[in-house]
Amino acid sequence: MLYMYLPIAGNSVNVFLILGLGGFVGLLSGIFGVGGGFLMTPLLMMFGIPPTVAAASDSNQIVGASTSGTLAHMRLGNVDVPMGIMLLIGGVAGGTVGVQVIKLLRAMGNADFLIAITYVIMLGGVGGYMFWESLQGLRKDKGVPAADSVPVASKPSGKKTLLQRLPLQYKFEKSGCEISMLLPLVIGVLVGVLAAIMGVGGGFIMVPVMVYLLRMPMHVVVGTSLFQILFTCVNVTIMQSYSNHTVDFVLAVLLLLGSTIGAQVGTAVSKRLKADQLKIMLASLVLLVCVKMMSGLLMAPAIMVALKGGH
Amino acid sequence: MKLGKNRMKRMIFMALAILLAGPVFLLASDAVAVPLELKLASATINISTFYNGTTLEVHGLVPVDADVVLQVSGPREEVHLKEKGKVAGFLWMNKNDVVLENTPAVYMLYTPAGSQAKLIGPELGIGYKALVKDIAISPESADKDFIFAEYVKLMEESGVYAINEASVAYGATTADGREFSATLTIPSKMTAGEYHVTAMSVQDGVVVGQVQEKLDLQLSGLPATISALAYGRPLLFGFMAVFIAVSAGLIIGVIFRGGGGAH
Repeated sequence: MLYMYLPIAGNSVNVFLILGLGGFVGLLSGIFGVGGGFLMTPLLMMFGIPPTVAAASDSNQIVGASTSGTLAHMRLGNVDVPMGIMLLIGGVAGGTVGVQVIKLLRAMGNADFLIAITYVIMLGGVGGYMFWESLQGLRKDKGVPAADSVPVASKPSGKKTLLQRLPLQYKFEKSGCEISMLLPLVIGVLVGVLAAIMGVGGGFIMVPVMVYLLRMPMHVVVGTSLFQILFTCVNVTIMQSYSNHTVDFVLAVLLLLGSTIGAQVGTAVSKRLKADQLKIMLASLVLLVCVKMMSGLLMAPAIMVALKGGH
Repeated sequence: MKLGKNRMKRMIFMALAILLAGPVFLLASDAVAVPLELKLASATINISTFYNGTTLEVHGLVPVDADVVLQVSGPREEVHLKEKGKVAGFLWMNKNDVVLENTPAVYMLYTPAGSQAKLIGPELGIGYKALVKDIAISPESADKDFIFAEYVKLMEESGVYAINEASVAYGATTADGREFSATLTIPSKMTAGEYHVTAMSVQDGVVVGQVQEKLDLQLSGLPATISALAYGRPLLFGFMAVFIAVSAGLIIGVIFRGGGGAH
């Protein structure tokens, strides 16, 4: 077994384990357009990496994986750059607001409770809706009549009239929609706030939002999400290195080696899957994380204290 | 005037006490001056690129009729913890902030076989129950013994707290004393810093002698370079981390494009 010492985390890790972990999360990233932070950080903590170092080093790794993934998706014509930029601007602004919200909540003393509840509700809600909706889609494909899908399909027409009145209408070609530029900006802000509160990149919230609210095609959603995540994580990596010294470079490089390859494989897999299949797989993953979090909240812990900064 | 007289009396009394106490103290220290030796195979451990914890051989001499306890301990620090508790009656969450002051970062004991009961205890100043006496907790209303016991569990999981029974072996007995040896575990979670290895000789429930050696853990090679850069030039470090990540992503992307061109 080959081990390497992580100077910032202050621990050593099995090289193959971290390579494998990077590969797995990179694969998910390439398939679904999520950064995978919501999976990677808890997994790294399980292997003895301090939570702050796990989260910051993971951002560094996501930079590599999303570069690789964005490049692959760009070649397939799956990246809507103007849409990505609007979401990104909104996301950065929302993230800044979110950090202040967290500070306020911590001062009020109930932050942890609110974070955990937000997590479970968001994961459960997003995962549940996506799962149900894509199940309907898959059934329809197989010729099973799905009466419930009619109101879902008619929803956007009602919204359109209202949204078309907003200023700064722009035709997002790749996404196949003509909407106000304010819409992705506002959505970006909302996701940014949530992501900052939950301490994650927000890919798993952004993807369903793009699919259901902006009605973008699933494959363009994945590419555009990766594009947006790339820039968010560049910012996080530099800020974390500068102010908190929590980026462990050795850990990030090991994860990177696995995840950049995983992201390429993931993109290839994503190309072969139908949109509904992609959605149902992501929904299952999100629900799985939700169930794990719920069980953690409901079961009495074995050790009644935790180092501050952990979960 | 009265005050000055009293002060004078007190000073004379103190001087007499010191004069009398001197020979008594010397006699006493003579009585406990039993042979106790401790030697470490190495006083420095280098944490290099492929380091995954290590072991350290120690040996020494202890009086024939005494037992030896070895202790590895680290710098005392302030530990910030979250105590878990129930919220809304059914959700287990991190609730209260608790701070343990003067807590050793590392605390490992090594004892010979079959003698743990008489070698570890608060009256000897050895073991977790002895440790908790030196630790202060805030807020003071928190249950110190319970919180520290839970903290010990957490530290035992990462290997930096341990009580290793039957881990000291006795060798030949000579005129100078009884030889002992042990293999100390240095877990990878033990970070760079200065630690102490202490040998204590225990006889009839009393610690009769103690020797201490310094043990230095230091970063070397790649870990030392990275650590220096991360703490010394953090902005440059951040940009470098991003640059390498983007390059790796691009390189892998290009490699895959070459492979993908075939189909």
